[in-house]
Amino acid sequence: MSEVTLDTRPVVREAPPDTRGPTSPQSLTALWLGIGSIAAVLGGTIALTLNYGLSPRVLTPACIDLQLTPEIRGALGVCNFVEAIRSSAETAVLLIGIALGVVAMAFGWSIRGRMDTFRRREQAITGAILGVQGVLIALVILAFREGRPDLFAKNFLNFTVIGPYFPGPFFSAIKNTIILAFVGEAGGIVIGLLLAVLSLSKRRAARAPARAYINFFRGTPLIWQLATGYFVLLLGFGIRPNTFFLAMGIFALNTAAYAAEVFRAGIQSIERGQIEAARSLGMTYFQAMRFAVVPQAVRRVIPPLMNEFVILIKDTALVVVLGLSASQYELFAWARAGQSDTFNATFFTAAALGYLVVTLPLIRLVNAVERRLRSGLVGIAGATA
Amino acid sequence: MSEIRSAPMPPPDKEPLIRLESVHKWFGDNHVLRGIDVSLEPGEVEVIIGPSGGGKSTLLRCANLLERPTLGKVWFMNEDITDIRCDLNAVRTKMGMVFQQFNLFPHMTALGNITVALEKVLRLNDAEARDRAMEQLRHVGLEHKADSYPGQLSGGQQQRVAIARALAMTPRLMLFDEVTSALDPELVGEVLGVMRQLAEEGMTMMVVTHEMGFAREVGTWMVFVDGGVIAERGRPKEMFANPQTDRLRQFFSRVL
Repeated sequence: MSEVTLDTRPVVREAPPDTRGPTSPQSLTALWLGIGSIAAVLGGTIALTLNYGLSPRVLTPACIDLQLTPEIRGALGVCNFVEAIRSSAETAVLLIGIALGVVAMAFGWSIRGRMDTFRRREQAITGAILGVQGVLIALVILAFREGRPDLFAKNFLNFTVIGPYFPGPFFSAIKNTIILAFVGEAGGIVIGLLLAVLSLSKRRAARAPARAYINFFRGTPLIWQLATGYFVLLLGFGIRPNTFFLAMGIFALNTAAYAAEVFRAGIQSIERGQIEAARSLGMTYFQAMRFAVVPQAVRRVIPPLMNEFVILIKDTALVVVLGLSASQYELFAWARAGQSDTFNATFFTAAALGYLVVTLPLIRLVNAVERRLRSGLVGIAGATA
Repeated sequence: MSEIRSAPMPPPDKEPLIRLESVHKWFGDNHVLRGIDVSLEPGEVEVIIGPSGGGKSTLLRCANLLERPTLGKVWFMNEDITDIRCDLNAVRTKMGMVFQQFNLFPHMTALGNITVALEKVLRLNDAEARDRAMEQLRHVGLEHKADSYPGQLSGGQQQRVAIARALAMTPRLMLFDEVTSALDPELVGEVLGVMRQLAEEGMTMMVVTHEMGFAREVGTWMVFVDGGVIAERGRPKEMFANPQTDRLRQFFSRVL
């Protein structure tokens, strides 16, 4: 036994050779170069525009040469914007941004492999990405200056012309847009659910008309449906429709086709076992659908249906083909009326902002609901119970 | 026409609760059941064993016509339920079924899972349905989980709720389709315990299972289904002790 002795000498292990190459400490430099590029391009442009806009000025001869005369409403504002964007300071800002961006791209990308932590690698790569963005934006602005930014600004960015049409008519237009889209979507959901159940029938006689309806409304342009729907009522049925209500009806019929496909996918996504369990308890097919399948399917299709709603909000613009009375104007009709009164297209820019005011919160809501639904069935059940 | 529809079977000595009579099932070209005859008297437990793909589940699903037999008849409570004029929804209230994947309704609580069919199919009022459901939850030892959603229950608890859901309809026959196969091993016992208790209370049951211990102790009869036919039928203990066919011997050598 005595020959068994413990070797108590300290174990000396040789460290393996470091084959990773030198690490570079410059990740933050790359990041700041990228941020600097973006800041120069965006911040510089905004600062210059504000400076020209807010400091007391008069119309420059260059502006008057461009037919921006003092009689034109908002001429000074447009002139300030044009002067700012064409100033040599803006040129300098853009060139600085491009230079910083190119350096950030080259430097950040070249050192990314030699970072010793993920955090630093991300800083280097982010710097390069921001550099790319800074350069691209600067190039776009440079190219934009080569055209006629003066005419563009006069026609699309002259918000003073909107004055008489704001805020009353504008918000009334937003309200009408929402009413058209909401009624259309609500009607579409009701008809669509019915169509979905029919299109899932095992009987061809029940399925075929539903499929034909869905294919027709998905296969023809909405603008055609609106225009033709008007004449079908007027000439075919001898009814002169109120265009606003006709539009609601056509939107509902059109949305129904899309909602039907969404519902069908939702119903088909419910496991077969659910309907089998319900049938094995003695439920009829329709009871099984009503109590077991459809309630689950409806939860699953909430996000895609809300997406359809966002799409419909934008498609309401198509009612301009029908012609509305002034109190019925939705955003696009409002913009078109304003434009034809003033010969200025800034109304369309304002309309775009109006659409965004409605759609951006909705898009956020869809994303939140989707996250919530993904987090598991318990949450859904708990949310509505 | 009358020659084509075969005459009703002469009444057997003892009235069977359910009788499958030369049942065949094709799925497309796939001949899954090739002439199955099974008959079960009240209070008996028939255990169905066999290799996977042999047609065990299809056999069970033909019993309550979740799958309609391509050929053959199914008699239940002296009624030909394969007759197209038979009201299957009424028949199924007398025939409970429990599935491998539980198939609880995930948007309803345990209690709601049980009461929905009581209210919508049996037309009980809220209070009656609730009382009956709570009684069944007590039966399976889960009355404290009445307000939980399926997603909040373990697999074993979900399966016991599924059993309670079927029992609440006061069925004459219970069908169990591999009800422990999707469970973690430590949860199998609680479900088998409920089924054992049910058998002791005199429930007539058809049980497709891979739990050989359960089959031996609880089964009145055992059938070995292989290749779409009943390869062997008998008392479980005798079949385990003395399998008559090579196929059953091979099967036992693989699973025991």
